[in-house]
Amino acid sequence: MAALFDHDKNREATSAAKVRALEALLIKKGVLGSDSVDAVLSHFETVAGPFNGARIVARAWVDPAYKQRLLDDTPKAIAELQFPGMTGAEGEHMKAVANSDSVHNLIICTLCSCYPWPVLGLPPYWYKDPVFRSRGVREPHAVLREFGVPIPAEKEVRVWDSSAQIRWFVIPERPANSEHLNEAQLAALVTPEAMMGVALVPSPPAA
Amino acid sequence: MFTRFEEYAATQMLGQPDSPPRSEGKLFFNEAWQRTVFGMALALSKQGHFEWEDFRRNLISSIAAWEQDACNGQARWNYYERYTLALITILEQCGVLKPGELEQQMTPGEVNK
Repeated sequence: MAALFDHDKNREATSAAKVRALEALLIKKGVLGSDSVDAVLSHFETVAGPFNGARIVARAWVDPAYKQRLLDDTPKAIAELQFPGMTGAEGEHMKAVANSDSVHNLIICTLCSCYPWPVLGLPPYWYKDPVFRSRGVREPHAVLREFGVPIPAEKEVRVWDSSAQIRWFVIPERPANSEHLNEAQLAALVTPEAMMGVALVPSPPAA
Repeated sequence: MFTRFEEYAATQMLGQPDSPPRSEGKLFFNEAWQRTVFGMALALSKQGHFEWEDFRRNLISSIAAWEQDACNGQARWNYYERYTLALITILEQCGVLKPGELEQQMTPGEVNK
């Protein structure tokens, strides 16, 4: 076994050296700028990603008037937060739905690859799985149970199908015992799965 | 529909055989070189050195070649190893790299360091 791990370590080192050499060569040739890689990745790391959605949800939790505006006119309410890089097109088809005592929302995408990832981040691998897509519509309670989200049979599950026209996301319920947290700490609790409705936001550890 | 090349490029891969590893809605890299090579391919295609779909075709072939390896000789799965191979191939195809040029760049001391 040890030999196997050593072998893998060598492979990692070889790949790392190869990529380093390739980058140096392309910079020397003038094909690649020294900051091109960081520039392109900053889009995923700081501009478009689940951190945006988490901030929206946290704001909705601390500010009921904002939550109402978010439900009434989602793009306008998102624009209020002035995310860098979200200049209209990305947010314009979005629509938020809120979980409550009586309703749980689940977002699926039966037809297309539309996914509001400037807000939710890159979708998990199972999101495009045909089984998830079809069972999500047919038996949402069962699907949610498999995700570890037991929703009582009497609680309504509303299933929203994202499309090019409307890209849905969920405002999950604020967890219990989170009164002492500020907005940034609340945002840190929100996962992409919670904004798709396949997870709940767990209570924070006691302060 | 996508106003940003980065979003177009990543979206083309999602749900496909070449979809990149991710966790919690974010790209997932084990090592710094994986992040570098991912960004290099995007940056070079964005600059117009090659079509993103041509790179993806190479990547999908590179992944398929690994899958067809015999079980007993098969290297452990590493998405970014396949990605690196696909990038080198497309750079040779579009003439940015001459065959063997990268090997020359890599001094013997760089390998297995």
